[in-house]
Amino acid sequence: MLALEDYRLDNGLRVVLNEDHSAPLVAVNLWYHVGSKNERPGRTGFAHLFEHMLFSGSKHVGNNEHFRYVQSVGGVLNGTTFFDRTNYFETLPSNYLALGLWLESDRMGYFLPALTQEKLDIQREVVKEERRQRYDNVPYGTAFERLLNLGYDPDYSYHWPTIGSMEDLGAASLDDIREFFSTWYRPDNATLTLIGDFAPDEAKRLVDQYFSSIPAGGSFPHFNLERRPLNGERREVFPSPVQLPRVYRLYHFPKMGHPDWIAADLLSSVLSGDKASRLEKALVLEQQIATDVAAYVLPTEATGIFMMQATANEGVAIDDVEKAIDAEIARVASDGVTADELTRAKNRAEVEYAHQIENYDSRADLIGMMSTYFGNPSMVHTWLDPYRAATGDDLQRVARQYLVAENRVTSTFVPENA
Amino acid sequence: MTIDRNVAPQPGPPRPYHFPQVVRRTLDNGLRVLVAENHNAPLVSIRTLIRSGADYDTPELAGLASLTGELLDEGAGTRDAVRLAEDLGLLGASLGSGADWDASYISVDTLSRTFAEAFAIFADVNRRPTLPESSLERVRAERLMELLQQRDEAGAIAGKRFSHLIYGTGAYGNTVIGNPDSVANIGIEDVRRYYAEHYVPNNGTIVIAGDVDADRALDAASRLFADWPAAELPTRPQITPNSLDSSRIYLIDRPTAVQSEIRIGHLGIARSTEDYFALSVMNALLGGVFNSRINLNLREKHGYTYGARSTFAFRRQAGPFVVSAPVRNEVTRESVTEVLAELRRIRTGDVETMELEDTKNYLMGSFPSTVQTASDIAGRLVDMELYDLPTNYFDRYRENIGAISKHDVEHVAEKYIDPDKVIIVIVGNASQIREPLGTLGMPIHELDIEGMAIA
Repeated sequence: MLALEDYRLDNGLRVVLNEDHSAPLVAVNLWYHVGSKNERPGRTGFAHLFEHMLFSGSKHVGNNEHFRYVQSVGGVLNGTTFFDRTNYFETLPSNYLALGLWLESDRMGYFLPALTQEKLDIQREVVKEERRQRYDNVPYGTAFERLLNLGYDPDYSYHWPTIGSMEDLGAASLDDIREFFSTWYRPDNATLTLIGDFAPDEAKRLVDQYFSSIPAGGSFPHFNLERRPLNGERREVFPSPVQLPRVYRLYHFPKMGHPDWIAADLLSSVLSGDKASRLEKALVLEQQIATDVAAYVLPTEATGIFMMQATANEGVAIDDVEKAIDAEIARVASDGVTADELTRAKNRAEVEYAHQIENYDSRADLIGMMSTYFGNPSMVHTWLDPYRAATGDDLQRVARQYLVAENRVTSTFVPENA
Repeated sequence: MTIDRNVAPQPGPPRPYHFPQVVRRTLDNGLRVLVAENHNAPLVSIRTLIRSGADYDTPELAGLASLTGELLDEGAGTRDAVRLAEDLGLLGASLGSGADWDASYISVDTLSRTFAEAFAIFADVNRRPTLPESSLERVRAERLMELLQQRDEAGAIAGKRFSHLIYGTGAYGNTVIGNPDSVANIGIEDVRRYYAEHYVPNNGTIVIAGDVDADRALDAASRLFADWPAAELPTRPQITPNSLDSSRIYLIDRPTAVQSEIRIGHLGIARSTEDYFALSVMNALLGGVFNSRINLNLREKHGYTYGARSTFAFRRQAGPFVVSAPVRNEVTRESVTEVLAELRRIRTGDVETMELEDTKNYLMGSFPSTVQTASDIAGRLVDMELYDLPTNYFDRYRENIGAISKHDVEHVAEKYIDPDKVIIVIVGNASQIREPLGTLGMPIHELDIEGMAIA
């Protein structure tokens, strides 16, 4: 059991302390409950652009000084954005805990006075380059974006990817940034997790010093997160500069943490991940019609996502790859999984979880996630329980109920010159 | 109590850091075994380092070392590929294998409660791989598909061409994964020969890190590996880099590109150089970390890129020095100009005390955060063995970095960076960038994707 202390400041900031002296380090990790889900059509890419802006200084921290303060004492840092959350983290030598708290509290409480048009213009260009580098200039780079476009109605918050569109990024104004900050970046919308080599009383005193004067905000805007049903499979074929056809599928699921999502996570291990897994064994090893296959669930809060993809071997029709995938899914649906397969899937979940706990940074992220999505940091102790309790029947039922054509969208990338 | 937010808080007294204690044993057959206990998590990482990699590949059989590595999990002892995966999965273990330029690797990560069983299977993979011919055909086909797909990956095209221009067809000049012709040439007898010649105990080290008892792990290693026969090693091929008398640009057209992938550099220096620590500091300051000159210039000052960096690839023999940056088409020329200006500036002796201290503090202070896990520790020990680092290397690392002066940084910049003799490879939209690049005053050679000159 991890030694957790979980409390709130008067302004609503949730604080989780995990004292651990195995390394002379401290992980300072903030999860804000805001992501691309909280954007509106025409203003996509904001949450992520905003993450970039938060590294460009605040009232008492100069432009680029955030990075410098952390790196110049041997700290490592970054931030990430997804549909439902944005996180900011630094791992510091433990005698620099106060520095981390000073920096994070300054950008939570004193960001707006330092905001300038010039900073926005630079970061807007950087983010556009990020989009080019990771989406537009790489083979299959827009696959996830295309699936989201197909899988959700235009007014639904998962319709667009976190990176946003070039057009919307270009349209972001200083006023937009100010409003976004005031709405979402506030102590009552965040969890601060500290892990490592500190004395809890001292850590509490410092947290109080740096964060307690930051005011809570008003009410949060409403987002309708009820997904409208697909009414049948949606498919597209996308000719693009790739050499081999690849099929991408997105299956709709209940949100992360739901028992069916847990069963889907285990089922994804039965289907892919090593040479004994169903899809890899059938498509790659035996039939040799695909060069690679993958199935996995995503950690999403509003609704669940089960992804599947496979690349056709040269000269193989992508339709044949899809048929082979469907045959394997049908086999699970009709015959279920073996006891050994279930054991292996559970082992993998256990090992992956142990690896996440092992490292301060990823452990802090787990705790932040449990707090942000489930309102309960202590779930970090019980997360694996439903995995252990899952049965072969659960996996079979989930395959039957969800891994069906009516519940999926499919985007197929094919070579444009073929 | 109120606080003064205007100044950064002062640190408390620093806490000591020690790299985990390492227990060593060398078996009679020459196999070295290293164990580092770390009981923070119920996990164990097991690694084999074989001190041969793609550096031994001949041009005709480029890709052999990595294909051999990839075939190791296709069956071992009495288990075929699927059975290996099944039995390891039942233990909660995962297996990996492969090769890079200087070495080949086998890894198993497992739960501490299944260490003994997983280690026995690991030993089978090391010593009794079946290397089946049918698997070679499949893995070869997958490799050919991977090479085919790289034709659309601008970064891969640029990296491949850059290496080739520096090293020619010899060691470090092809890619680790080979090319379509060489991969087609490789037969199962080549794979079995590579395995037999290089996967021998006197060419290897086994590293075990994590939640194990060191004595028991050493005893298990002795039981499983003591009767592995030693063998004489083939002579290592030497690199044959091309010499360069002036800078030139190589442009590879990719008409659909929305970014230019830029590589700028030349031959670097081997890992064994006595200037390693000075070079580490100099490169970190120049382009090795986020707050380095090149990244701050291209990204934070100009917004040309999502990230630019410089690297000295420290290998057994001299690896390349390279600056890499993906930038949007319109600012390709400007980006090249800025990078070259930074390469000149670092040689002129204007290193400021604060940036030097910041960089050294980063390198010294961040080390503990990169060795938190059993797998991290195992990785560091593999490095130590691969490059023959002294046993107290990690404990003395901070001291060695701390001793680097401004003079040292300027000295190695002048000695190892030559902005007037660089190879510049750009993969991008030629119709948009050709003309601006012409104003740089360097010859431009246009190549096709295979590296053939375009008339």
